[in-house]
Amino acid sequence: MTVPEGEENAREGLFSFLSRRRFLKASLVVGGALLGVAGGSLFILRGRAPNVDGLQALDAHEYQTLKSLVEIMFPRTDAIPIDVESMDLPRAFDEFLTGEPKHNVQDLKKALVLIEFGPLVFDRQVSTFSRLDPEARLAHWKSWAISDNLLRRQVSVAMRKFFNLVFFDHEAVWPFIGYPGPSLLRSRSVKQ
Amino acid sequence: MSGAIVDLSKESVPEGITTEICIVGSGCGGATAAGLLAEAGHEVVVLEEGRDLVGAERNQRDSKMYDQLYMDRGGRATSDLSVSVLQGRVLGGGGVINACDVVPMPEPVLAHWAAKYGLEDFEPGHFGSFQKAALDDLSASRIPESLVNSANNKLRIGAEALGYHGEVMMHNRVGCQGLGTCLIGCPIHAKRNPRMVALPKAIAAGARVFTRARAVEIRQPGQELKELRVRTLDPLGYHEQEELMLRAKVVIVAANAIASAQLLLRSGIGNLQVGRNLMLQPQLPVIGFFKEEINAFQLVPQSYAVTEFEQEDNQDLGLWGYRIEGVMGTPGIVSTLLPFSGAEGMHEMTRYNRMAASLLLAPDQPSGHVEVGRGGRLIIEYAQRPDHQERLRQAVYNAARIYLAAGAAYVVVPTAPPLVIRTTADAEKAREITFAPATAPLLSAHQQGTVRMAPSERDGGADPDGKVYGTRDIYVFDSSGFPSSASSHTMTPIIAASRMLTTKLLTRI
Repeated sequence: MTVPEGEENAREGLFSFLSRRRFLKASLVVGGALLGVAGGSLFILRGRAPNVDGLQALDAHEYQTLKSLVEIMFPRTDAIPIDVESMDLPRAFDEFLTGEPKHNVQDLKKALVLIEFGPLVFDRQVSTFSRLDPEARLAHWKSWAISDNLLRRQVSVAMRKFFNLVFFDHEAVWPFIGYPGPSLLRSRSVKQ
Repeated sequence: MSGAIVDLSKESVPEGITTEICIVGSGCGGATAAGLLAEAGHEVVVLEEGRDLVGAERNQRDSKMYDQLYMDRGGRATSDLSVSVLQGRVLGGGGVINACDVVPMPEPVLAHWAAKYGLEDFEPGHFGSFQKAALDDLSASRIPESLVNSANNKLRIGAEALGYHGEVMMHNRVGCQGLGTCLIGCPIHAKRNPRMVALPKAIAAGARVFTRARAVEIRQPGQELKELRVRTLDPLGYHEQEELMLRAKVVIVAANAIASAQLLLRSGIGNLQVGRNLMLQPQLPVIGFFKEEINAFQLVPQSYAVTEFEQEDNQDLGLWGYRIEGVMGTPGIVSTLLPFSGAEGMHEMTRYNRMAASLLLAPDQPSGHVEVGRGGRLIIEYAQRPDHQERLRQAVYNAARIYLAAGAAYVVVPTAPPLVIRTTADAEKAREITFAPATAPLLSAHQQGTVRMAPSERDGGADPDGKVYGTRDIYVFDSSGFPSSASSHTMTPIIAASRMLTTKLLTRI
C-alpha cells in the first residue's frame, strides 16, 4: 500500500523546522562541538609534555609516549641493573625515522597516538598510556601482543622489534646477558 | 679491460650510458650472470641498491648491520607483519647475509619441475652439471667439526638420543675463524659468495658495477634498446637523490623474488602472472634453554640439521618435508624474537648464553603475491596455508622433544602468548599454535616465485629461458622464476639456475 501523499508529508513535517540544509548545518555544528569537547578532553587527559630539544621527526608528546613505553619494556632489575633513560631510546627512534619514507613516518606516528590513548580506547580507562602507573602500563602493553585486534598486535611487534634490537645491541647490557661482545674486537687476526 | 665498482652516492656517472647488458641486482643470480657474460666478452653494467660494505665496516653490531645490509633496514615484512622478509641489500646480495647453507635442490623436485611445469632444462641429468658448477663456485665443503657451535651440538645430541637422522651441513666458507656473526656479514670475508667470486671475475672482465643505484622503471620493453630509469641514493641508502637514464639491449632482472616482481610491476611489464605465486618458505624459531652456559654466539651459527623429517611429503607437490636446523644470532636480533615484556623479558635475555635455537624450515606452496601500491609502495601479501602451519606444528613438537632429550630445562616457542614446554607431554601444546597473523615470529629467507617460468604464457610470467613474456630481451635470472619451492636453501639453486639460463642466453647474443 502506498502512503498517501499528505501522511508522508505530515511525518516529515514533525521535523519540518529542519530543512535538509539546516539539518546538515546543525549536525555539523553539534558534531563539531562534540568532537571539540572530545578533543579537548583528550588534550586535557594527555596533558602537556615536557619540552625535548633536538628532535627531528617526533614531537614532545610522541617522545613522551615512547619514553613511557621503554620504561616498562626495559625496567631496571637486579639481573640487568641498567637505567634505560640513560640510553635515550626514544631519541634513537627519532633518528631512525629521519631515514624512513614519509608514509612510514606517518604510520608510526599514528601508532604512537594509538598507544598513548590505548587505555581509553581499548580498556575504557580514563587515562593515557603515559599517565598509567608502571605496573598498569605494563599490563596494558602486554595485552597488545595477544589482542584480538590485528592492528594492536602489529604495533606491538613493530615496537618490540625496534627497541629490543637497539637495547640489547648496547654494550652496557652485554655483561649481564653473558655476551662478551663482537668477536671482531676479540680477534687479533682480522683481515681488512 | 678492467671494470670498476662505482658508488653513485659519491660519484657521478656520465648521462646517457648505453650498454649491451644491464643486470639489476648483484646477488647470487645477478652476479653469476655478470661473471659469465663479462668473461664471454659482453659489455655489462650491474645495478645494486646497497653499497659495498667490506672488512671491518661489517662491525658485527645488530643496529648498524641490519640497517645497512638488509632491505628496508631489516624491517621488510608482509603487509600484516606476520612474516619478516629477510632480503639482502648490499653488493653481493643475499650471499653476504645468509648462513652459508649449501643445499642443492633435491632430484625429485627437479624431476617435478620438468614433468609438471614443463621446464625440461631442470631435468636432473641436465641441471645436475649446473648444480655441480654452482658447488664449485661456492667452494662447497662439509663444515669442519671444530666449527660446529654448541647450540647446534645440542640439537645433534638430542636428535641422536631419539634416534633421528641429522648431518653437519655443507657450507661455502674458506678460512672461517668462527666469528659467529654470519647473518650480519663476515668481516673477514670467509664466505665464498657472489661478492667474493663472481663479481670480481665480472669486474676483471670489464663489468661496471654501480652501487647505491635503484632501478625504478624499465621503459620500451618491446624495443631493441630498453631504457632504465635509475635513481641514485644517499650514502646510507635512505633517500633517493638524482635520476639518470641508462640504455641496454638486454636487461636481466635478478633483484630477488620480491624486488624483481616489484620492478616489473612498476614498469607495467609482463602479463597477469607477474607478482603472483609468491612463496616465502616461512621459518619458525624454537629456543631451548639450558642450565649450563652454551655460548652459542661463537663458531658457525647454523651448522647442524635434523634431516629425519625431510621426506615426509608427497613429492608430487614438489615439497621435501621439513628440516630442523640449529641457528644462533647476536643478542639484538635474538631478543626481537622473544615475546616477553618487562622484567620477564629482561630475565629471559639474561640466559642468552644458555640458549640453543633452531629454525624450522618447511617448504611452502605458492600462497601470496607482490603488488605495487600508490607511489610505488611495495605490498607483500601472504597467507600461510593450513598444510604449512600443520607441518610447522609437527616440527615444533619434534624440535621441543629433541631439546628436552638434549637436557634443556625448558623450550620456548616464541609465539604470543609464548608457549613454554618443560616436559615431553608439554610438547603436545604445539598443536595449539594458531599462527594467527602477527602472533608468531615467522622469518622468510627464501623468497621464490612471482615471475614463474612456464612454457605457456597462460601459466607463467617468463618462458623457460627466463624471458619475461611480452618483452624483447628482458629476463629474470633469480628465484622469481621458480615454479614451486626449490625445497631447500636457495643460494645453490639460484646460482645453478642463473648459470644455466646465462649459458642459454650466450647462445643467442
